Amino acid sequence: MTTPFELALRAEQLGRIGRIPDAERAAREAVALEPQDPRLLGTLSSTLLLAKRYDEGLAAAEAACASGPELERSHRLRALHLSMLGRHAEAVQAGYASVSIAPEEPAAAHGYAKVLQRAGRAVDAVQVARRVVELDPDSAAAHLLLADCASDLKDKAHRELARAEYEATLRIDPENAAAKHDLALLDARSRRPAQALAGLIQAGRLDPTMPEVMRTVVVVLWQLSWRLRMWLFVATLFTLGASLSSATGARVSAGIVLLLTAGLVWWTVRDLPRQTWPVVSRAVRTDRPLTLTYAALALCLLLYLGALASGFGVMVTGVWIVLIALGWLALGVRAFRR
Amino acid sequence: MTDPLLTSLLAAVEAAPADVPLRLHVAELLLARGRGPEALHHCSTALGQAPGDPAALALLQRVTAALARPDVNPDTRPLPVVPKTPPTAPFPVRSLPEPTADDPATFDWAHAEDQVADISPEPAFVSGDPVTEEVEQAVRPDVRLADVGGMEQVKERLELSFLGPMRNPEMARAFGKGLGGGLLLYGPPGCGKTFLARAVAGELGASFTEIGISDVLDMWTGSSEKNLSAIFAAARRKAPHVLFFDEVDALGQKRSHLTHSSSLRNTVNTLLAEMDSLSGRNDGVYVLGATNHPWDVDSALRRPGRFDRMLLVLPPDEGARAAILRHHLEKRPVEGIDLGKLVKATEHFSGADLTHVCDTAAERALADSMRTGQVRPLTMKDLQAALKEVQPSTGPWFATARNVALFANQDGTYDDLAAYLKKNRRL
Repeated sequence: MTTPFELALRAEQLGRIGRIPDAERAAREAVALEPQDPRLLGTLSSTLLLAKRYDEGLAAAEAACASGPELERSHRLRALHLSMLGRHAEAVQAGYASVSIAPEEPAAAHGYAKVLQRAGRAVDAVQVARRVVELDPDSAAAHLLLADCASDLKDKAHRELARAEYEATLRIDPENAAAKHDLALLDARSRRPAQALAGLIQAGRLDPTMPEVMRTVVVVLWQLSWRLRMWLFVATLFTLGASLSSATGARVSAGIVLLLTAGLVWWTVRDLPRQTWPVVSRAVRTDRPLTLTYAALALCLLLYLGALASGFGVMVTGVWIVLIALGWLALGVRAFRR
Repeated sequence: MTDPLLTSLLAAVEAAPADVPLRLHVAELLLARGRGPEALHHCSTALGQAPGDPAALALLQRVTAALARPDVNPDTRPLPVVPKTPPTAPFPVRSLPEPTADDPATFDWAHAEDQVADISPEPAFVSGDPVTEEVEQAVRPDVRLADVGGMEQVKERLELSFLGPMRNPEMARAFGKGLGGGLLLYGPPGCGKTFLARAVAGELGASFTEIGISDVLDMWTGSSEKNLSAIFAAARRKAPHVLFFDEVDALGQKRSHLTHSSSLRNTVNTLLAEMDSLSGRNDGVYVLGATNHPWDVDSALRRPGRFDRMLLVLPPDEGARAAILRHHLEKRPVEGIDLGKLVKATEHFSGADLTHVCDTAAERALADSMRTGQVRPLTMKDLQAALKEVQPSTGPWFATARNVALFANQDGTYDDLAAYLKKNRRL
């Protein structure tokens, strides 16, 4: 006959390979045999955390805390469930209890840092995450945690720390898709869209099941569209000024703008892998406002081509109209998506 | 009393344990001196070293007869003549002398079996291994590819890439195509991968065992690896045999995902080592796998000699859907069913979804019948109502598959999938 301890081990093992329903079944069988055992309740709670069933998981964690208050894991699980349920104050208290019981346990500190991060206490989270790295310096997860906590802070020092820690994560585990993705996100925030796109393609290759990758690609493409809009806004001023004197001036300025635009685009995308294009195309088609934005930008370039061909410089005032409309669209999208 | 001749001969046997004639001679002497059990031991050892040796077989019969009748003095019985030259017949037993009154052939085996019929012996010192036993007792499935409704493209690709070379090994070799390696079936859940695997076994004329993760994974360190090795060893003994690993992404998960579990990583390593057909150990063992997440499978498992062929098993096409719906409706009271219309309305439904639709419709008709007390046949109305309730379950799979085709198809592994997605405007 299988003992509850064996069933719990099996549940942990099944959880590790992503067989959550089977893991839950094994954990529940174990708890049914020894309903008061805090370790078994902890296993069930941890399985429910993987299953994202936080209410039930919290109940199991609280039962585990009641049966064995001396066990660090029960408090950690309780903290994590509370945090996922948005009960941050209680979560931080429970996380603190877990690190008080086992101050040298990296998992306890890891859980506490996560809870602090989710509670919006980024500085404290970074401090605890530093402790996790001290306790377990060879763990990719520890470095990733510190990087993620540091990237929540906007100052340069923390951004640099985040970058260094993402790189450390990837040195230990080169196939860590999450680190690759988060580093790309950091690149996007640091206004380096080309690097961000390249990083996202690599992250997608490492773990194509991550839905965040496509979402971040869309964010980067919005960023690129904003750059292009700003450039065209300034360029239109220049073209209008030049076209006041003569048709030749309009033609020359429109030609220069088109050449510089092409140069800027080439400069931005020169290092991107070929595989980027289907992804970009898909991302543009997925997001309707983005599709509209890029279609409108293409129209702006057509207006410039028209000015180049006809010498009729006033034509580019149409670009301003388009850009103003796009500005309103971007504001609307931003407000709606926030 | 000690026998110097026998003592020296036993010492000689100990010095040269592989010398079968010497061992048989010693066994003869032991038998002649009434030391039957020892004779039996030497005889069995000799047979282990030279299976089918006629002299050893003849001696074994005499020893067992003597052991069965210990009261008879073995010295008084004539020794049977052992043929000097080995017989040419494939079964050496046939060349034994005709049974005599003293021969064990006259023993009433039927009566003896009746006497022990109610005893079911347990193997001593051996813990039962149900999976290995399952492999040992596996039978050839009756299902053939012709029994799979529709899915013509899948069947054609199976025939070309896997079954054809297996059936025409010489031709395959002439074209430089190896026969080793396994086949990985992938696609959305509930689309008949297991059924197809059975059909492949049926086509190959091989016995079939389905291995699930619970058959292999064990919580104790080292046990999962041991289970895997035992399964492969049993399959080699049972060759030709098809080993079908369901949910192979669980057993062969990317090792980079298993950094915190050395035990699971070792299981993947064992699977890699056991599957390596380039060593020639797996002749006659065909390894098939099925997964909904081929992108989670360790890339080493897809190298030559392992799962080097991949086959996309998509939701059933029109023909397959018609066959599945017909199968589920034929034993139920139905009226006015427009199969063509149903087939059109169930595009992207998996086989499991179609079953669900039929069951839901049947439940409606049954509930109505119970209310009125009269059997009301299942109609199109029930099926259309069921279709509103049951949505195709393949959607989330295709959402992930789209990302895979976009990001992870640089080597063309998922070209089939990308082509399908493009055709259906999902890419």
